[in-house]
Amino acid sequence: MSHFLDRLKFLTKTKETFSGGHGIVTNEDRQWEDAYRHRWQHDKVIRSTHGVNCTGGCSWKIFVKNGLVSYEMQQTDYPRTREDLPDHEPRGCQRGASFSWYLYSPQRVKYPLIRGRLLDLFRAERLAGKDPVEAWAAIQADAGKRKQYTAVRGLGGFVRADWEEVKEIVAAANVHTIQKYGPDRIFGFSPIPAMSQISYASGARYLSLIGGACGSFYDWYCDLPAASPQTWGEQTDVPESADWFNSTYLIVCGSSLPTTRTPDAHFVSEVRYKGAKVISMAPDYAEYCKASDLWMPVNPGTDTAAFLAMGHVALKEFYIDNQDPYFSEYARKYTDLPVQVMLRKQGDGYVSDRCLRASDLDGALGETNNPEWKTIVYDEKSKSFVAPNGSIGFRWGEEGKWNLLPKNAATQEEIVAQLSCIDGKDDVVSVGFPHFEPGEGDLLYRNVPVRKVKLASGEEALVATVFDMQVAQYGIDRGLGGENVTSDYSDASVAYTPAWAEKVTGVKAADIERTGREFAYNASKTQGKSMVIMGAAINHWYHNDMMYRGVMNLLHLCGCVGQSGGGWAHYVGQEKLRPQAGWAPIAFALDWHRPPRHMNSTSYWYFHTDQWRYETLRPDDLTSPAGKGKYKGYSLADYNVAAVRMGWLPSAPHWNANPLDLVAEAEKAGATDEAGIAQHVIGKLKDGSLDVAFADPDNPVNWPRNLFVWRANLIGTSAKGHEYFLKHLLGAQNGVLQESGDGRENKLVKWHEEAPIAKLDLMVDVNFRLNSTGAYSDIVLPTATWYEKNDLNTTDMHPFMHPLAEAVSPAWESKSDWQIFKNIAKTFSELAEKHLGTRKDLVALPMQHDSVFEMAQPFGEVKDWSKGECDPVPGKTMPLLKVVERNFSDTYRKYIAIGPMMVNIGNGVKGLDWNTEEEYEELKVMNGEVKEPGVSQGMPSLEEDIFVCDSVMRMAPETCGEVAHKSWSALSKKTGIDHHHLYAARQEDKITFDDIKVQPRKIITAPTWSGIESETVSYTSCYTNIHEHIPFRTLTGRAHFYQDHEWMLDFGEGFCVHKPPQDMKSFSNLSPEISNSSHIKLKWITPHSKWGIHSTYQDNHRMLTLFRGGPYVWISEVDAKAAGIEDNDWVEAVNANGSTIARAVVSQRVSRGMAMMYHAQEKIVNVPGSNTTGKRGGILNSVTRVVIKPTNMIGGYVQLAYSFNYYGTVGCNRDTEVIMRKIADKDIDWLERPLTPEREAQLNPPGIGPR
Amino acid sequence: MDYINFFAFGIYPYLAGSVFLIGSWMRFDREQYGWTSSSSQLLSTSGVRLASNLFHIGIIGIFLGHLVGLLAPFSIWHAVSLSMLGKQYIAMYGGGFLGILCLIGGAMLWWRRVTNPRVRAAGRASDLFILTWLLLTLLLGLSTTFITAQHASHGNADTMMAMAQWAKSIVLFSPKPELIAEAELIFRLHLFFGMTVFLVFPFTRLVHIWSAPFGYLARAYQIVRTNRASAR
Repeated sequence: MSHFLDRLKFLTKTKETFSGGHGIVTNEDRQWEDAYRHRWQHDKVIRSTHGVNCTGGCSWKIFVKNGLVSYEMQQTDYPRTREDLPDHEPRGCQRGASFSWYLYSPQRVKYPLIRGRLLDLFRAERLAGKDPVEAWAAIQADAGKRKQYTAVRGLGGFVRADWEEVKEIVAAANVHTIQKYGPDRIFGFSPIPAMSQISYASGARYLSLIGGACGSFYDWYCDLPAASPQTWGEQTDVPESADWFNSTYLIVCGSSLPTTRTPDAHFVSEVRYKGAKVISMAPDYAEYCKASDLWMPVNPGTDTAAFLAMGHVALKEFYIDNQDPYFSEYARKYTDLPVQVMLRKQGDGYVSDRCLRASDLDGALGETNNPEWKTIVYDEKSKSFVAPNGSIGFRWGEEGKWNLLPKNAATQEEIVAQLSCIDGKDDVVSVGFPHFEPGEGDLLYRNVPVRKVKLASGEEALVATVFDMQVAQYGIDRGLGGENVTSDYSDASVAYTPAWAEKVTGVKAADIERTGREFAYNASKTQGKSMVIMGAAINHWYHNDMMYRGVMNLLHLCGCVGQSGGGWAHYVGQEKLRPQAGWAPIAFALDWHRPPRHMNSTSYWYFHTDQWRYETLRPDDLTSPAGKGKYKGYSLADYNVAAVRMGWLPSAPHWNANPLDLVAEAEKAGATDEAGIAQHVIGKLKDGSLDVAFADPDNPVNWPRNLFVWRANLIGTSAKGHEYFLKHLLGAQNGVLQESGDGRENKLVKWHEEAPIAKLDLMVDVNFRLNSTGAYSDIVLPTATWYEKNDLNTTDMHPFMHPLAEAVSPAWESKSDWQIFKNIAKTFSELAEKHLGTRKDLVALPMQHDSVFEMAQPFGEVKDWSKGECDPVPGKTMPLLKVVERNFSDTYRKYIAIGPMMVNIGNGVKGLDWNTEEEYEELKVMNGEVKEPGVSQGMPSLEEDIFVCDSVMRMAPETCGEVAHKSWSALSKKTGIDHHHLYAARQEDKITFDDIKVQPRKIITAPTWSGIESETVSYTSCYTNIHEHIPFRTLTGRAHFYQDHEWMLDFGEGFCVHKPPQDMKSFSNLSPEISNSSHIKLKWITPHSKWGIHSTYQDNHRMLTLFRGGPYVWISEVDAKAAGIEDNDWVEAVNANGSTIARAVVSQRVSRGMAMMYHAQEKIVNVPGSNTTGKRGGILNSVTRVVIKPTNMIGGYVQLAYSFNYYGTVGCNRDTEVIMRKIADKDIDWLERPLTPEREAQLNPPGIGPR
Repeated sequence: MDYINFFAFGIYPYLAGSVFLIGSWMRFDREQYGWTSSSSQLLSTSGVRLASNLFHIGIIGIFLGHLVGLLAPFSIWHAVSLSMLGKQYIAMYGGGFLGILCLIGGAMLWWRRVTNPRVRAAGRASDLFILTWLLLTLLLGLSTTFITAQHASHGNADTMMAMAQWAKSIVLFSPKPELIAEAELIFRLHLFFGMTVFLVFPFTRLVHIWSAPFGYLARAYQIVRTNRASAR
């Protein structure tokens, strides 16, 4: 009762004594113990996780005490893996364990914030009697007013606002933009839905309903390995981490498992105890190198050469000197190695051209359906050329032959596809192979055995198998004579020998040779249990597809792909949105309107931030003499414009006109249907009165006007070319240290001498933290954190559905993303009623992968209608033109209900369709029906976040067994193989949100993915391609070593070839004063940090405390000494793109010639000004500029056809170089001065103009 | 006698005493985790040992001196044949000596508390306040020594007698503020400051005084409780 009174009971305290009075027994009050009990008592413990960018998908216990989140701890109740495998738990890392700090931190956005000047302007217009849309229009019409708030972006000046008022401003801006410029001038960016799927879906659904465009992220982050769609027609599919444990030989390169895959790294430690060998390859002594048996220090950006040399050894020893039966069978059945390629005469020799097709041969080999899309092999049994099952021509328009069974499609007789014609050759010819290593020649001629074949046209053609050419390409001597081949590993003069590779990569030839041999030997003994784990460090280069294809070649030669414990494991920004098929209709409002607007972000930002104006790279310097070179003299931007015109890549905006007006105009001119409207548009394209927006991106008509960013840090860590974003897109203070002009020489893109600034009218950031993106936004909306909302989370590292759950209600005035966009939709609908009404919108849709339009352009020939090479035909030579009718005032009513298209049209994924009526009815009962009168009354409700979670899971095959049944049945029809056994045991399972809150639940095998969930094998990618004979979604249906598209051949990428790191000419426009200030020029490497990103952020106080408390950059001791830099000195990294200031970490870990600045270090914590730019010292991306690659723009051609986040330009940034110099402490300027009119006017660094 | 003196020496002692006792009790019951000496020795050890010992020896001595000097019955002094004047000399020299020890130690601690960045950052405002207050009280007390010495040189022990009688009147609940209303101002200031120490006592780190670990001197080697049902 009272501690004090208890103390007074000293007379009765002692109950008895013992041991002669040396001990006493007391009955003292025990109330004090409660303090320790209460320490571990909580109001509740809720399961949640961390939800933007982390692939962990870790189960966390969120402890709530007195209504506040007190801390989080790893949850350990995952379902088990298997008896012979370690479990996935415990999962979680130091970053995740620090997240709860964020909820109540100073960084938390607590109220809606708005730029004070903008609010004043808006209120003044409203007071003058204008309605919100008119008020917004008035501000935009006055350049002076507009500049008042755009010029101070990034300089603070926020005031707290009221939800009603900010919603009104945002909605008014959207309405005005749609009216004046078109809905595709509204853009949204949010990354990686898998980690918080409902949050992603919120903004995407709103934008899709109003016709705005959603930007991709996987390619923009350069995490998309373009090589994966190129090789397999698959975006990315990787093994779950448990499958590492099934491997017996691992090469790890470019992916630091303990750092960035912390909760999974234990599998690598465990498999080493089992006896597996682990080889690491990295330029620095990275954390994962410590846990490997051999570290191969490699020159940054030269990994392709190392892997090709390992391939050289494997190929020579297991295919040429000896024939490994497992390898050759695998190669015949599952790769394009036996496929016949035509040779084209060039100069004295030949070069490789396109694959031979059934249509080339007499009677098309009996194929009537798509013969141009059926590739040919030579059958050893019938001694003839046959079209085997499985090529893309069998996927569309017929059923039952799209499979990888070794059969002649015409007769369905068993075949043996021949790898090499060396024993039955008609001739040996000299074939030129593109080469890019400086000083070694750009076309290396090697002898290749060929067959002669008589074409239907009567001509005779030379054909060679991919295999025979690949052997030659690897430089292996087969006794056919000729140059550029050898049988001696130590011959450094022949490309791709280990000795040659040592010269290029710095890795010892003996290490390369041994590793290549062991890798193949192990795969041979284990039937493919050799694995390569790879990631960002090799994927972020300009020629990343070459690096990856180098690895994939080795894996395919060794029969590893699709085998448990083998294959590739790509870990960077890869996600697995497991219930994708159930999620996509909600996220992109496919239940109401199809198609949605999607945009590949890399091209988007390349144009809209005007980075193209500074382009120093000339495509002509990148092409090979082996190509046809029809686009000689084109700039990178020109290539992109051509790709948009030909229907390969999307564009936002698409036209230099408002798409609503286009339809209205066409209807006025007499068009009555979609085809008529398309005809009108084609007419305008032909007469030049209409063009694609990217042909003139600087014209105000084509600017992006409204930008939503949610779940993202677009302007901060995600902005490759950060300073260009600031300068042109935002019109803010920027550090660009050059004026544009290099990009002047274009054929298709119009040049304006004056570059535009402040293109955006409005930028809205939805976030729970005020980061570098919020700092540059006009409006910041407070959202719920990962512990304050109900959402779904999945990863590819483990096979479980996982929740984010509301442990506490959203703090202060924050709301979940779903509710925020719901509210905006409501206000928008009200304003739209008066200003927009019902309009018809014209959506231009590129020819997409996994649709029949992936066969739009046969033979990989480029035919450009704008050059008069063909007619513009939608879906054939230009994008599909789709009319979508939108009643803008119904936006809210549509947002809150699952629309009728789910019943009328159904659902689908990856080219498979199924009926979803049954699930629709079930959801009416589960979620309840919408009561609000109007277009959606009586439909399943999406009003609450949990309803959305349950709807996604009910409509996805991964979480609803009945849907799995329907989707697999659709695929079985296509392949002619019964796949029923893959999901049979779980056909009646239906996973709900309540289930996964209790325990993460293992998903059901679905045709969305290429692996299976099973009691006998771990999930691994391409498993069903090999074991179920489902074709890869490529031209040949097999894994591709060879790419036969014209542009691929133009750029010398038919076969994988080593291309050195690209010189970005980062200093060419830098003032000599800066250029000469330091002779230390370093490669700019930006890996992921141990103390930030993924599950929390670097500006988290706990993270800052763990390392240096602010931005830092790692450099080697040698470079530091040469530049007079000591550990913890302030240093500046600078090039023509800008400048960044950080503290130096001088370490033996780092090799010479490179600087490492960890990704995602924030501009808002401890970043001083740069004296070079006079602005805030920048971030890792202040010195980068994004560069696009034409081969990634190819479309309308099977695996090279565009799909959102699937194929398209990637935002590479590794090839940059910087000058590194010391900044004395006394020269550090924190810029802590008030904003003066002079400072406000000085947007650019001193001496740099606005151009 | 004016109301200020009446309040200061008739009412204030009870006010201060009540806050002291009730406040300490409440804090002990309600804020067990705040019941601490808030030692800063962990943060910085330099000079603490000397300063702290000087301060504590001095102040404990002074406290005991005051206790005995003010509250012991006169009959005790008679019994040991100590004249009032003799007692006054003991108080002067003994108190003066201990006071100087305390002053040196206290000043060192004060300097440390103000200048040492770690101590300063970790310390609360009340820590600096109470130390400063104690030093001011001490300085006032030491300065009374000179007046007492004058009195003594005139063979006059009246003031001291009056103080002791006033103290007893307070303890016996028959306050006689008039006994000291005429004493020199410096005495009265010292008394006021001293009583204020009691007033603020429960709100400061001084509460650790209550918890002086005398019990350790006589405690059993083993203290256990029983979970036997019959243990009652």
